[in-house]
Amino acid sequence: MSKPEFVYVIYIHAAPEKILQALMDPEMTKEFWGRRRNQSDWKIGSVWRHENYDDATDIAVAGHIVESDPPRRLVLTWARPDETDKEAFSRVTFEIEEFMASARLTVTHSELSLETLRNISAGWPAVLSSLKSLLETGASLPMTRRNWKKAG
Amino acid sequence: MSKPEFVYVIYIASTPEKVFAALTDAKMSEQYWAGNRVVSDWKIGAAFALKLKREETDVTGKVLEYDPPRRLAYSFHPQHGGMDAEPPSRVTFEIEQQKDQVRLTIVHDGFEPGSKAFEGISRGWPFVLSSLKSYLEAGKVLRAYWYEDECAAQGAA
Repeated sequence: MSKPEFVYVIYIHAAPEKILQALMDPEMTKEFWGRRRNQSDWKIGSVWRHENYDDATDIAVAGHIVESDPPRRLVLTWARPDETDKEAFSRVTFEIEEFMASARLTVTHSELSLETLRNISAGWPAVLSSLKSLLETGASLPMTRRNWKKAG
Repeated sequence: MSKPEFVYVIYIASTPEKVFAALTDAKMSEQYWAGNRVVSDWKIGAAFALKLKREETDVTGKVLEYDPPRRLAYSFHPQHGGMDAEPPSRVTFEIEQQKDQVRLTIVHDGFEPGSKAFEGISRGWPFVLSSLKSYLEAGKVLRAYWYEDECAAQGAA
């Protein structure tokens, strides 16, 4: 039986380059992604870590860069930082397409366990809603500026 | 076989009253819904219509729940593209005030397996609700692709 998948589509008044940059820039992720940053050199095969912005030893999620085709496509694996079981890694695909002077961002989180599905189903809508607010109004949603215990 | 269901959550820096008003007001809906308008007197059991800018027929329905500013539900039956042959589906909005924002949840269910309407609304709602969020937060809306057709037609005229 295939593992669950979560798909979220949101349209943002911004250029694809700005959206991709927001996902990678610590000064932006700390505003919309629970005061965290994504640490990586973003090369294919490289490690990425979802760290506490204020404490790099506090890592909520880690994985590898699978695909990178800026600004249109970024694929990562996703697991706990100490995870060794290959089956426990899920996969996140960001697709960014131009759409009528805006952009359509599709996040597909696949190969999920039921527990991870529960956590990320709550997390992605909040994070991506806040990303949209930040890019369109200059202000993220306050709830996503705070550090959360669980990463989403 | 499980029946198709569409669920979408979006967070908006606004108030439940403003979100509810935008979902039920014809003029506001016309802004963020790319020229389409929701029309009803919002009494339980009364007619609901989504007046489609690009189609000759409306999406028809009935008001099923009206509990401002928390909950709204209507039946939803497109009459174009052969979808009048499908049974009506059901749209439910839930609006929750959170500390700093509103959480808007839409559940669109009641489809038969293989429903053409389900395919359409699965593409449509993320656009409409993204545009609603832009409208309420930034005073901007998202443009639908048929706007470009009109602009091109006007330019040519």
